[in-house]
Amino acid sequence: MDFKLTKEQELIQKAAREFAEKSIMPIAEQIDRDNFVPQEIFDEMGELGFFGLQFPEEDGGTGAGYSCYPLVVEQIARASSGVAMTFSVHSLGTSAIYTFGTPEQKARYMPDASSGKKLSSFAFTEPATGSDPKQITTTAVQDGDYYIINGTKRFISAADLDGPIVIFAKDDETGKPTAFIVDKNCPGYSVSEPWHKIGNRGGRLLDVYLKDVRVPAANLLGPKGNGYMVLQYGIAFGKVGVSSTALGGMQAALELSIKYAKEKAHRDSTIAKFPTTQVTIAKIAEKVEAARWLTYRLGYLAESTKDLREFAKEAALTKAFVTEAAVDVSRMAVAVHGSYGLMDDYKVSMIYRDAIIGEQIEGVNDMQRMIVAGNLLS
Amino acid sequence: MNIYVCVKQTVDLQQVRIRKETREPVLDGVPLTIGNIDKNALEEGVRLRDKLGGKVIGVSAGSEELNDTIKEALAMGADEAIMIIAPELEGAESSTVAMALAKAIEKTGEIGIILLGEGSSDNYSGQVGPRIAEILDLPQITYVSSLEAEGNTVKAVRNLEDCFETVEAEMPVVVSVVSEINEPRIPAVTQILKAGRKPKQIYSPAELGVEIAGSQIKTISNLAPEQDRKRLLFQEGVGQDVKSLVAALESEGLLGR
Repeated sequence: MDFKLTKEQELIQKAAREFAEKSIMPIAEQIDRDNFVPQEIFDEMGELGFFGLQFPEEDGGTGAGYSCYPLVVEQIARASSGVAMTFSVHSLGTSAIYTFGTPEQKARYMPDASSGKKLSSFAFTEPATGSDPKQITTTAVQDGDYYIINGTKRFISAADLDGPIVIFAKDDETGKPTAFIVDKNCPGYSVSEPWHKIGNRGGRLLDVYLKDVRVPAANLLGPKGNGYMVLQYGIAFGKVGVSSTALGGMQAALELSIKYAKEKAHRDSTIAKFPTTQVTIAKIAEKVEAARWLTYRLGYLAESTKDLREFAKEAALTKAFVTEAAVDVSRMAVAVHGSYGLMDDYKVSMIYRDAIIGEQIEGVNDMQRMIVAGNLLS
Repeated sequence: MNIYVCVKQTVDLQQVRIRKETREPVLDGVPLTIGNIDKNALEEGVRLRDKLGGKVIGVSAGSEELNDTIKEALAMGADEAIMIIAPELEGAESSTVAMALAKAIEKTGEIGIILLGEGSSDNYSGQVGPRIAEILDLPQITYVSSLEAEGNTVKAVRNLEDCFETVEAEMPVVVSVVSEINEPRIPAVTQILKAGRKPKQIYSPAELGVEIAGSQIKTISNLAPEQDRKRLLFQEGVGQDVKSLVAALESEGLLGR
């Protein structure tokens, strides 16, 4: 068993850290305040090859493999969870196209998605349902070689940025969810203003309105009526990104806590001398390390898995543990900072707001546990 | 034209911790990398190559791990690498390293420019560049903060702290650069993945006729500076305290320089 990164993985991780420290960290507060990531950030990530990390060269990717993906997302999230969230959801949509797409669909969408010229989205959630496939109301009615899609999708990442969006709708033949690849901003496609959410700001969520959107039948993703499979397994890959995003925030929380503890004076010493501070920082470190290795392992499994159902269980288990640990860690990091940790002036308060998001997105954590238990008890 | 860039394998200084009790650096488990200023030299070499054509060849001497560490230079744009590998070259003194690098460069082809960082990230002795120039009997330009090349001539601006000096020299020439000359690029993932497939030539010191003698340099101390607080308290009221603070700062040589 070898936990050592290869030299290539080490260099990719280092490249991500240098990029994040140089280009994202100086504007992280601005991204949080404005709920907006400047396009130059995505352009630079594309030039560095980050968007195509986990995809093979023949599909426009770098061929570095999924194992490298958590290394990069973690470093970007260490600077800004908002940037990492957009990156993560882009990977979710692109992975779904890569995993379930036909050769023609991959040829059309993968190169631009892998290079970051186009950013992918993934749209299942609706105003009335977040996870239950039976409850979706978006419809797809066949009209010759096209489907006409109508409905509303809620909380969709990067819905206003050019690129493909994987949309789930009940088709009129099976009455079950079916996945379609739709070009964002096509006729009949419109979006709301971004939601003002508590954390991961910059990773913008919008509602998507679909009014008589005509989609070629060739854009069906996976078999008709099998949208649930695309959702279940596509989103399993998305959990690598969610876990890595949470991990990056945790690492930042640990670093900030150590720095603050060593600097915050109390009488003739610093608060690092307090046993309570020491215990808190040790607890933070325990969770960060446990989360790190679970997340890196999930990246490895995403690359090597032959059994999607087994992978979905591991993804659920990892996502639930890591995002919950991130909330614990950021809460403890705020505690190390005392009242200062509650202030916007201190980055740890942003990390706490960011961490809370992870537990709720891409399937709430209790649902992850249902997936794990369903697998273990079957 | 061959642009040789000499790089040194060092521990990643950003990841070195200082043991508080002893002030010694903790080097165990710290990843190896190439030196920071070496990256400036490499970046300048890649820019010159992109303008003038030719090849950038990374040159380095060190232990077996260099096989891996050199990938960083190749990822940043070097076209190929020459390495002199022997366990005793790791941490060897500047005269030995300079001889190994010079002989390897001399053996492998026509020299255009030999670029180096002004000093290594770890010891910063600044000796290797001038020694290579002497061994190969080449002109040398040090402390270079700006470099242009046209035809067979290089024109360099030297940053001498209190002034800038512009000089010219004919190639072949040895040029050592300071960090402000450029901002080294971050290698793209595809370049990192290609690095391991680029040509590499490995020599032993014996193949180059380089003898590694026992070290003539003894490291007396390698400790982090002490950073204790002075803990001066001024509690006589603002008027007097400001005067006392100014006097204390002056006595430390921090004011009125």
